[in-house]
Amino acid sequence: MNALDILRSCKKDVVSGWVEAVFSTYPLETTGFLRTKTNPFTNPVAHMTKEAAGILFDAMIGEEVEPDEVKSSLERFIKLRAVQKFTPGQSMAVLYLMKPVLRDKALPEMRARGLLDEYLAAESRLDTLALLAFDMYMQARETVAESRIKEIRNQHAQLKRWAQQLENGPDIPAEKKSFE
Amino acid sequence: MAKLPTPQMLMASRPAFPDKDWFETKPEFVPGSYCYPAKMDTMELLHMPHPHEWDPSAEDWHLPENWEQILCDAFADRLEKHRSLKLFMDICVRCGACADKCQFFLGTNDPKNMPVLRAELLRSLYRRDHTMLGKLLGKRVGARGWDMGVVKELFYYAYQCTECRRCSLYCPYGIDTAEITMIVRELLHEVGLGLHWIMDPVKNCSFTGNHLGIQPHSFVEIVEMLADDCETVTGIRPKTPFNKKGAEILFITPSGDVFAEPGIYTFMGYLLLFHELDLDYTLSTYASEGGNFGSFVSFNMAKKLNAKMYAEAERLNAKWILGGECGHMWRVINQYMDTYNGPAPANMEVPVSPITGTVFDYAASTKMVHIAEFTADLIRHNKLNLNPKRNANLVTTWHDSCNPARGMGLLDEPRYVLRHVCENFVEMPENTIREQTFCCGAGSGLNTEEIMELRMRSGMPRGNALRYVQQKYGVNHMACVCAIDRATLPPLADYWAPGCTISGLHELVGNALVMKGEEKRTMNLRQEDLPEEALEPDDAPEQTGEGQ
Repeated sequence: MNALDILRSCKKDVVSGWVEAVFSTYPLETTGFLRTKTNPFTNPVAHMTKEAAGILFDAMIGEEVEPDEVKSSLERFIKLRAVQKFTPGQSMAVLYLMKPVLRDKALPEMRARGLLDEYLAAESRLDTLALLAFDMYMQARETVAESRIKEIRNQHAQLKRWAQQLENGPDIPAEKKSFE
Repeated sequence: MAKLPTPQMLMASRPAFPDKDWFETKPEFVPGSYCYPAKMDTMELLHMPHPHEWDPSAEDWHLPENWEQILCDAFADRLEKHRSLKLFMDICVRCGACADKCQFFLGTNDPKNMPVLRAELLRSLYRRDHTMLGKLLGKRVGARGWDMGVVKELFYYAYQCTECRRCSLYCPYGIDTAEITMIVRELLHEVGLGLHWIMDPVKNCSFTGNHLGIQPHSFVEIVEMLADDCETVTGIRPKTPFNKKGAEILFITPSGDVFAEPGIYTFMGYLLLFHELDLDYTLSTYASEGGNFGSFVSFNMAKKLNAKMYAEAERLNAKWILGGECGHMWRVINQYMDTYNGPAPANMEVPVSPITGTVFDYAASTKMVHIAEFTADLIRHNKLNLNPKRNANLVTTWHDSCNPARGMGLLDEPRYVLRHVCENFVEMPENTIREQTFCCGAGSGLNTEEIMELRMRSGMPRGNALRYVQQKYGVNHMACVCAIDRATLPPLADYWAPGCTISGLHELVGNALVMKGEEKRTMNLRQEDLPEEALEPDDAPEQTGEGQ
């Protein structure tokens, strides 16, 4: 069995272990719901987490993955964490919670077979993914900040235009007409 | 040497079982999760009880000395006044059907955002003072008394509910949890606790008739500007009748349509439509606001602000009122207006469309018709010349705004209109639309920017469904009939489904409407280029309507 096969064989355990670790960052009273309901629209947090778990695992162990798919799933999950009540560290640290699970499930066998380098390569890929996720996290936070500014501007868009038309009205740069 | 924490330690995972029960778990007031308090002078001007300066994140909220007595008395008074409240307090069996239906719960994973538990915050107080078991057994039967922690908890969670009533839809007893939230907010006002974002518009409405407090002459000028914009796009300057006595129809819409992007384009759609129909209607500078932030404050405030609609219809001798695209305005009209301000003035009649002759007999009592129904009726009778190709750049979906959808059953009429003005229409997944629609996450006075972060999580279920149809079907637009939605959905879409734009229904109607004597259009109402499909010279405008 080569390194990839060993890693593949523990996918189910690692993915479910990580999902549990993420769920346990939420209050206990809600984890039953997160665990048991599977509809992607009526239980979106669980769906986002599980989707990210599978993709994250595949990318970490070095499967052939579509970069767009990885980005899309990871982004959905990170965007959620970025607006929940966590510190930036807590939002991001969940990704690293995959390491202890992987160490538990895959490391002993890989060490015994002399595949330590391959194991470390997988962990390094996780570090890379975490950096990608950090970019997404920052982008998400900036979008929130921009939205606050944009909203203030839009609320009074017409008032500002009207004020500019008045005699001796304030000299405010004209607003763009398009609404991006 | 101090050790660095591990990722697990940073996460500070909670204990396997909570070490305190829910009575003792208190909310944290961190920035981004609570709204700014109302200003003292605003509250004074409105003669609200106990105006005072306070800060939600501070330990001391500076309540009046006898606050507990005030709250107990106010609660007893509301129970006496509203039998429904007493019923809602008594009959919940805590089956949990509502528990996972709230978008605040889905986004925050905070157990107290389960509607059942949010209502339990008040129900526990009810039990102590108003049930025999609660009086005798206290905490053992889930009863508790008032303390400052309870007041803070009520404030925190009453303003993490948009009164959208998604939970009520699933309640086997039909408990209207939104009305429980309304009562909690009303109680908090008795000790001077309210939000700036709600009370400021209420003050402005009280003095000038609209949320931004725009004086009548300025209001008219701003509407004139929009008529000028209509002329730029179509070559026709629509009429802007104001305060016209004897007009058949009084038109009232939320003022957000006059002041805010992208609502203004919807307003331009109204102007063009009414001009094309040569409708005998009038706008009003007094009833210049359809929205009613009073309904987020108290029964009496909602009643006071709503009264201007009938007062103006009476003064102008209008036969009936046509209402614009608004959310909570329609809940107030459909469910409360008769109780608040009814019966309608004697000069008013059962609404009849002057174009088609359709009698809107469901509105026989309130005398108010929703514009989506009015327009759907026009299309049904083939009275409009529409060219949906002008919206060919849009693959649109439909957001059922909570109040018109759940509060008055307006589900098919807007879709009917949308299908006739836009060729590409895709529904979002069925458990996120129609009666089951997810809220924008910022209704009921929570559409303020200081809680943008909270709004992104409470709106997440809606954003998630939008993202799904965006990725699967290439949806790039979402239409709705609510002014608050038009303000809150753009940032939500920017966050969860970047690239999706938001508009009202009548913006798309205004785009598609082929008017008599108009210039060849090259722009849409946002003054963006029309899609190529709409510019083809041999493209005769399509006739639409039933039977075509």
